[in-house]
Amino acid sequence: MDWQAFALTLKLATVTTVILLMIAVPLGALLVLGRSRWLALLEALAALPLVLPPTVLGFFLLVLLGMRTAVGRGIAGLLGHPLAFSFEGLVVGSVIYSLPFAVQPIVAGFAAVDSSLVDAARLLGAGWARLVFSLLIPLARRSLLAAAVLGFLHTVGEFGIVLMLGGDIPGATRTLSIVLYNQVENFDYAAANRTAAVLLGLSVAALAAIYVGGRPRGGRRA
Amino acid sequence: MRKKTLTLLLGLASLQIGLAQTPFRIAAAADLGPVLPPILVQFEKAKGIHVEATYQASAALTAQIQNGAPFDLFLSADMGYPKRLIDAGLADAAGSPDSSTPIMYAKGTLVLWARKDSKLPPPSIEMLSDPALQRLAIANPERAPYGRAAVAALTNLQRYDALKSRLVTAENISQAAQFVDSGNADAGLISLTSALTPRLAGSGRYFVIPRNLYPPIEQGAVIVSRTTQREAAHQFLDYFLSSAVQAQLEKSGLTPAR
Repeated sequence: MDWQAFALTLKLATVTTVILLMIAVPLGALLVLGRSRWLALLEALAALPLVLPPTVLGFFLLVLLGMRTAVGRGIAGLLGHPLAFSFEGLVVGSVIYSLPFAVQPIVAGFAAVDSSLVDAARLLGAGWARLVFSLLIPLARRSLLAAAVLGFLHTVGEFGIVLMLGGDIPGATRTLSIVLYNQVENFDYAAANRTAAVLLGLSVAALAAIYVGGRPRGGRRA
Repeated sequence: MRKKTLTLLLGLASLQIGLAQTPFRIAAAADLGPVLPPILVQFEKAKGIHVEATYQASAALTAQIQNGAPFDLFLSADMGYPKRLIDAGLADAAGSPDSSTPIMYAKGTLVLWARKDSKLPPPSIEMLSDPALQRLAIANPERAPYGRAAVAALTNLQRYDALKSRLVTAENISQAAQFVDSGNADAGLISLTSALTPRLAGSGRYFVIPRNLYPPIEQGAVIVSRTTQREAAHQFLDYFLSSAVQAQLEKSGLTPAR
């Protein structure tokens, strides 16, 4: 069992989830509270990573973040190294790839909050920040939880982008899904089974823990 | 009206017959992607046999054949994977002098490739000692024959330990080329077949790694034993090994087998 890859995968998923929530909460609030028609376009863009196959998305990022584009050179100048084949590169790829999985539940959760409450809060002079932090987030906390869980697990299981953008460097970009793929491709099915079992066990345990924590006493419909 | 219906039915019937004939299927190693298609067109013209080819990593194709994928012939990028199929009783080299050894159809050539607009001097052995070489792309040495050759060459040059932390491993040889072509790696050890494709020939330069630095990249073919088209398989192999086609392989970056 490759514990280095295991730790790296958890680190990648955790960092990605934190960044995802930092992006998806304000974005979700903007999409739900905002009135501009252009927001529909923004919402469509936020869902776009679902359309592209991960390997294709990874390829585009590889080209976009490469040293042949101004974007790639700019980032390399800031970080001191190119983004591809680095942990930071995987974080960027994962955030883009998992964005819809965080944005969709949050938008749905915020939109489900009774609009008369939002109107009342506005009449009482609540600003955007107050609306989001005192009203929307507490009332839509299950949706936030769902967004975090989906974003986390989607990153744990991510493969295509890591394959294209990672370069399979132990400790930096070799995640569990890459280890698993390598084991299968090398006909080492016994090791692959062990890796898959760890991956599945981890996911079930994490999900169960979160759902137990998020479950109101006396059942969900109490 | 009735005439039209009849024509339509006849048309459909002939289409049906066309479909009923199972195509001859080749499982081909990814490095044959730029090489094989024109040869298949010529073969169909010459022998009237239509061939459908699938291009993937040899390891993936081997796993597929082990699990009953409907291929008739397997053109691997090495000798190990087809040998594995022979040993498992799933493939054979019937018709060749030694039916338990894959039929070698070509040898691969390893090159060091870099973009023309690279800051480094043109590819050469010295490039591998250049401190400005920060990222060197290779194919996965555990399964890609060119990846194994790359590690062997670096080891023989006593550069492997120094470069180890600067290697980026690609899934296969064409992805290794992609890493370099997209400007993310400074140079790559890739196949001559990739370096000679119009795209890479336009954007980069290559240096042929001396052949004494790595074990030969021998590419082997086997007939999948459960094929129902053994005759077609032999016809294709004869055609593929003919001197005319072998000369054509050489132009695409493969060394003829004999």
